[in-house]
Amino acid sequence: MTQTSGRKLSMHQKQNIIGWFFLIPATVLIFWLSFYPMIRALMISFQGGRPTALTWSDPLTRNYKFLLKDRVFIQSLKNTFTYLIIQVPIMLVLAMIFATLLNDHQLKFKGLFRTCIFLPCATALVAYSLIFRTMFAYDGMVNAVLVKIGILNEPVNWLNNPSTAKAVIIIALIWRWTGYNMIFYLSSMQSIDYSVYEAARIDGAGAATQLFKITIPLLKPIILVTAIMSTNGTLQLFDESVNLTKGGPANATITMSHYIYNTMFQNNPNFGYAAAMSFVILILVAVLSAIQMKVGDKRE
Amino acid sequence: MNEGAFKKYGKRTLIYVFLIIMSIISVFPLYWCFISSCNTTQQILGGRMVPSSHLMENLKNLFAQQDVLNAFKNSVINTVLVLVLSLAICSIAGYGFEIFHDKGKDAVMAVIMMSMMVPFVAILVPLFQMFTKMGFVNKYIGYILPSLSTPFLIMLFRNNARTFPKEVLEAARVDGLSEMGIFVRMFVPMMRPTFAAAATITFMNTWNAYLWPKVVLQTPDSITMPMLVANLLSGYVVDYGVVMAGVTICTLPTVIVFFILQRSFTEAVAGAVK
Amino acid sequence: MKKLISLLLALVMVLSLGSAAFAAPGDQADGKLTIWCWDKTFNIAAMEKAKEMYQAEHPDVEIDIEEVLSEDIESRVIASNGDTTTLPDIVLVQDHSIQKFVTNYPEVYHDITDEFDFSDFMPAKLGLSVVDGRNYGIPFDAGTVVAAWRTDYLEEAGYTVDDLTDIDMDRFLEIARDVKEKTGMPMLSGQAGAVDTVLIMLQSCGGSMFNEDGTANIAGNEKLKAVIETYNTMVAEGIFIEVNSWDEYIGTLSNGSVVGTFTGCWILSTIMSLTDQAGKWAVTNMPAMVGVDGATNYSNNGGSSWAIINNKDIDLALDFMQMYRNVDFYNEILPTTSAIACYGPAKEGSNYTAASEFFNGDAVFAKIVEFGDKVPAEVTGPYYYDARGNVGTAVTNALNGGDLDSELQTAQDTTEFTMGF
Repeated sequence: MTQTSGRKLSMHQKQNIIGWFFLIPATVLIFWLSFYPMIRALMISFQGGRPTALTWSDPLTRNYKFLLKDRVFIQSLKNTFTYLIIQVPIMLVLAMIFATLLNDHQLKFKGLFRTCIFLPCATALVAYSLIFRTMFAYDGMVNAVLVKIGILNEPVNWLNNPSTAKAVIIIALIWRWTGYNMIFYLSSMQSIDYSVYEAARIDGAGAATQLFKITIPLLKPIILVTAIMSTNGTLQLFDESVNLTKGGPANATITMSHYIYNTMFQNNPNFGYAAAMSFVILILVAVLSAIQMKVGDKRE
Repeated sequence: MNEGAFKKYGKRTLIYVFLIIMSIISVFPLYWCFISSCNTTQQILGGRMVPSSHLMENLKNLFAQQDVLNAFKNSVINTVLVLVLSLAICSIAGYGFEIFHDKGKDAVMAVIMMSMMVPFVAILVPLFQMFTKMGFVNKYIGYILPSLSTPFLIMLFRNNARTFPKEVLEAARVDGLSEMGIFVRMFVPMMRPTFAAAATITFMNTWNAYLWPKVVLQTPDSITMPMLVANLLSGYVVDYGVVMAGVTICTLPTVIVFFILQRSFTEAVAGAVK
Repeated sequence: MKKLISLLLALVMVLSLGSAAFAAPGDQADGKLTIWCWDKTFNIAAMEKAKEMYQAEHPDVEIDIEEVLSEDIESRVIASNGDTTTLPDIVLVQDHSIQKFVTNYPEVYHDITDEFDFSDFMPAKLGLSVVDGRNYGIPFDAGTVVAAWRTDYLEEAGYTVDDLTDIDMDRFLEIARDVKEKTGMPMLSGQAGAVDTVLIMLQSCGGSMFNEDGTANIAGNEKLKAVIETYNTMVAEGIFIEVNSWDEYIGTLSNGSVVGTFTGCWILSTIMSLTDQAGKWAVTNMPAMVGVDGATNYSNNGGSSWAIINNKDIDLALDFMQMYRNVDFYNEILPTTSAIACYGPAKEGSNYTAASEFFNGDAVFAKIVEFGDKVPAEVTGPYYYDARGNVGTAVTNALNGGDLDSELQTAQDTTEFTMGF
């Protein structure tokens, strides 16, 4: 008995060591190519001055203190959170609905539907921003349709009004990323034996019951991945703000990443301040991810 | 027809209608882009939604202005390299993080996650300086290295490995299979849907990557398709017909890859959870 | 397992082979010039011509003209952070970026004050590339403002292009209202929030967002305020249509949904590409502001200059750029590129004085060079884009009912905030 447990322990240790070997290539790459530059960036966030002649700020937290007084930054923070709170839940729920519908073995043209719903995220940014702007223009298609069917009394200048411009960005995000998230749900659903659903159906369970009692509990790990990824993606949102609205009207749609980009590449470059803003994003994502992990990352 | 059948039939129709509408909304911009590649700039900006006969002319101008074949070739090489290497590196790591998990590895995982939480622009300058010193600028390795190991893929494989049945693992160990053998012979085949999803996403991300490549790939022979499209948009006069022809060529590979791989998402997999 | 390892090995080999295929440009042998610019039909074509002319005399010099987007050139200079090994010998720079880049990366850009003779160049243009009294840019294309009008629309309302020449804003608004009433057409269009038009009008009366000492001059700037009020009047009355993007703006011109535009002369390439509208356009100067000092009918918007990078081949680069005073060069590139020189004597070139068929026989290019000499100089600085963004916010907010004075104060504060680091 004692001997067995001793052997087991050593086997466990052996596995533990092998396990580390599995991780080494990926971990080394990340530490080398992400953490090393990140630490440099962290140092820069306490510095100021011309990019090639940075000096330590006095006081060290000067860049971070400036953040609290920067209206554009605070505006961008508010905008980004608006997108996060509205867009992420709608998108993930929709993705789950699509995945469930398209996982139905009796459904015809599944491959076609799947491809169609995935396509938005493969559509080049150039094409999609051009057409979204055209469609939401004052004399564009969206206004024409909505006025015709009586939802609107008169056309709306979507991109030139702070709240409708935000709405267009949210619509664009949902349009673009729902299919992307659907893929992960769909692929994970394959590890659930389809007969489980058939058995549930015979027991009289409806679609909703199947979703909440079978699918969601089993998909929890992947739902967590998508939730964290979407939170991260939205807090670092850049493309839509730059290409659809240019952050306007009057910074009403600018995101944090867009503002950081401007601070480095468009305005007079201020590396220290851009780095400080980046670490604020890191802290926000880390806190939100930690909460999500706390709720979802449990091994049964 | 009894009421139950009618209810079922009606529900089906509703699902189809819903999916068809959603598909149309999803595909519309891409459709418009394909259509526009057959139109002139004036037709495109005038909002023409049906193709006219300028496709050949646009393609001819596109190939005359830009070395499309070379950019396409670069994009294919870069994407295939990243795809194969990153799937190998990240799937092994994700598997390792989950199957051999302990407090130490969970902590490493949490730290790794942090590396995706800083906007890339913040590390761009330090990273580029590193690469200049190492002589990686303008080389394949400079382009692909930063995308080989991504927290996202590691996390995807790690969390999906959670559904890998313990019984299979134990049985394989009893059979004397090495740990690497278990990964290659048991885990990889069983996780085909996950690999397919990861491959699709990695393909798309790498194919469309823009900010890093345009900084690190500086010679004209090394430009990629998205950079080529951006070049088309740079002038005082933009020919949108040519741009859309370029965008179409740039988008098609992702569409095709997805269409091929999507079947793997829904293939029944042996040993699924009961 | 073995398969996997051999696959990985094979990949590593492919990778290292691939690496060998590209030579790093940092190790340039002497006698080779690399130039970065971004528009095949414009500045690249111009450089190809310069290359041809230079190689005729120096056949052994290798010159690489590489297509790199303006924003990519900027990103690469920023990413390399003062290290020029990965940079070329000559780059094209947007005029309003020069101050920012030279101030931040003085080690990258070569001081060319004593290398070239800058007399006879457009004064307003030259000023943009002077930092602390030293020259860093060789002017390339002018951004001299032209007003281009559809004569058929004007005629419909009973006007000719002469009625729109050398006029002031009061007269312009009068005509615009009349044209709108008679034809239903707005006179102008532009991107919302982009403030191009505001800044064009500001420079036309010698105004700027900065004081001579580099501090922000936004709040309490009477010229700026007058300009924004005029602009907002035009938008409010539907004389100026705001659209949401650059392509929509171009669309208004190509669809003929506006009477015309006033902006940098590079817009003529776009207008001349609308072959179905040949003969329907005329070019003149812009309306002058009313009630402010120094108002003129001339301004500038956009344009670019060549900068020389502190790299191995500086002497060669300097020698190559000697074409900057070559009238033939400017003359030869004009028909294919429509790049209008900032060098005064260029207007004597045969292509400049030739009648333009598209514009009903008017010699528009010589006219534009003449306009260029009358453009008031502008005070600019490294914080140009910061200030521009903030003024844009103020204009948009004022249009939506905000109080202009307090919006300008906010823009002043925000700009000073950025400058305060």
